[in-house]
Amino acid sequence: MLETTELVKRFKGTYAVQGVSLYLDKGESVGLLGPNGAGKSTTISMISSLIKPTSGDVLLYGNSVVKNPAAIRKVLGVVPQEIALYEELTAYENLKFFGRIYKLKGKELELRIQEVLDMVGLRERQKELVRTYSGGMKRRINIAAALLHEPEIVIMDEPTVGIDPQSRNHILDTVRLLNREKGTTVLYTSHYMEEVEQLCSRMYIMDHGKVIASGSKQELKRILTGEDILHLQLDGPGAGMAGELRMLDAVLQVEETENGLKLIVAKQSRILSQVVQIAERHQVEILRVHVHTPSLEDVFLHLTGRTLRD
Amino acid sequence: MIAVFLAQWQKEKRSPYAILLFIALGIMLTIVFGMGAAKKMSYAVYAGDGLEAPQAAEWVRLLNREGKFEFRLIEEERALRDVREGRAELAVKLMAEDYRIVMAADNPANREVEELVRTVYNEELQLRAAAASADDPQQYLEDVERRLRQPPLALEIEAADGGEPVRNDMSLQLLFAFTLYTVIMTVGYKVNAVMEERSSGVWDRMILSPLRKTEIYLGHMGYSFCIGMTHIAVALALFRYVFGFPIGDRYGMLLVVAAIYTIALVAVGMLLTGLTRTPEQFGIVLQIAAAAMPLLGGAYWPPGTVTNPIILAVSEFVPLTHAMEAMKGIALQQYGPAELAAPLAKLLLIAVLCMGVGINMVERRSH
Repeated sequence: MLETTELVKRFKGTYAVQGVSLYLDKGESVGLLGPNGAGKSTTISMISSLIKPTSGDVLLYGNSVVKNPAAIRKVLGVVPQEIALYEELTAYENLKFFGRIYKLKGKELELRIQEVLDMVGLRERQKELVRTYSGGMKRRINIAAALLHEPEIVIMDEPTVGIDPQSRNHILDTVRLLNREKGTTVLYTSHYMEEVEQLCSRMYIMDHGKVIASGSKQELKRILTGEDILHLQLDGPGAGMAGELRMLDAVLQVEETENGLKLIVAKQSRILSQVVQIAERHQVEILRVHVHTPSLEDVFLHLTGRTLRD
Repeated sequence: MIAVFLAQWQKEKRSPYAILLFIALGIMLTIVFGMGAAKKMSYAVYAGDGLEAPQAAEWVRLLNREGKFEFRLIEEERALRDVREGRAELAVKLMAEDYRIVMAADNPANREVEELVRTVYNEELQLRAAAASADDPQQYLEDVERRLRQPPLALEIEAADGGEPVRNDMSLQLLFAFTLYTVIMTVGYKVNAVMEERSSGVWDRMILSPLRKTEIYLGHMGYSFCIGMTHIAVALALFRYVFGFPIGDRYGMLLVVAAIYTIALVAVGMLLTGLTRTPEQFGIVLQIAAAAMPLLGGAYWPPGTVTNPIILAVSEFVPLTHAMEAMKGIALQQYGPAELAAPLAKLLLIAVLCMGVGINMVERRSH
């Protein structure tokens, strides 16, 4: 349905996106993961035809979106990262405006406004000014505004940043409803790995403007099948011993955590005794050791050397 | 386009205070300065060194005969206290054959008063001296007065076209100046909605909708134009029908000039949108530009005050200069289409240039 081929975007000599190729099948829910500055928003802007790529193309049903942006605009709903609403107007007035610009009018417009308000759970508060809403409620109206014209494809750019758990759950339920019951194709961008794991059947991981891995959850986790994750809970700072741990052959990656260290190590490497010796040399006591199989977060760390929220 | 226009109108209805404030500000400034400009400056005089009351009253009559300023005879103590405490710029001490001026500070306006007092004293004392040497002083004075009424040479002043010369009405000029100045702020802040929507992301949402860019721009610019025109029309109507300002019978013609001026202002607003990056930056640049426009165009001073060729050249690029010329021409000099063509063509040229460059810059930034 939607495909990008070797998308490149360069701003004044700096590459924001370098050769991104991805695809979305009809009715699919696909995640786009990456830390700040990975190039996710630029990629989304190119897909939605807001900015032109330096090279590469976006194809909708095989037709170039770069050459004919109007084609994708008819079937696309974009939920931007920022709250793109008139704060001086009520939720209802905002939705009426966004409906009008999509040429909806009369009863059809009224019906769609009430439907999307139901979808985001704000029907009762539609007459209140958006400026009086909580951050979560604003984000929900931000989503509703993108759904008025019943788009075939919805692109959501970090729709749950900085909101309360109740609104977050509501937004996740809305995305599920859109995708599973209404068959809408969703491209979901987030910092939160667990959200993407819950909502998306496939995902792309981006870093430094490139797609560094893609596939289903299981496929991505297989990247780390030869590794174990060791969580060391320490009684003091682990920064000192981290350097020495990195020198060990079996240790692939070391990251400092809130109360100790997280190590990605080769499976069955039997390095525990060496770890204990290093801790003793640094006069740090190991309070607890926990070994688990890798999560997607660990895959991300392995691929990029940093966490998603870095 | 209508959706964009209506959204702006809905926002306005929620919070109409800014436009009301600017209209009120324009009216207030005109009342304070415009009506003040119509009144003569008044100065206190007092009798000194044993000058008798009838003699003092005679000097006051002679000083007021010029009609340039108003002189009031008050007690010495009060006159000096007013100058000392900053309530008056100066006071004139009248003596039988001399005078003294007590000033709070030396400035051009005070020197103008001093010059008038000196002239009146010189003329009167020369006349009295000549009369004293005549056989019949009273007859001499009457002869002088009669000859002054029928002078052998009469000086007539006429306009370049042979007609009656036009007197500049400062209160009317200030009415136009303050109205045209405050409408810069009104229109500017409305055009700033483009920048605000670009910052908030609403603009991108509109770009991704079936709306054409032309419709988005026209919605915004049309709305800014309507608000600007309403501002000018309300202000002029208030001064004409409520305060009775002599703006003439060609109210419709004034509105035509106002419309073209407002279009030019919208275009200047678009240029500022292209030049700045945030609504806050736009606000700062707008305030600077709005304050500079009337100063460059000499809107607050009598014609001919600004003589610096650089300032005069810069003022050619300021819409307010040409709108002032056209409005004053309509109200005071009965300008017809031929005389209005030049200022209106300049306004339209500014509009086209600023609009073209401004929109181009806004669009280039988008990419």
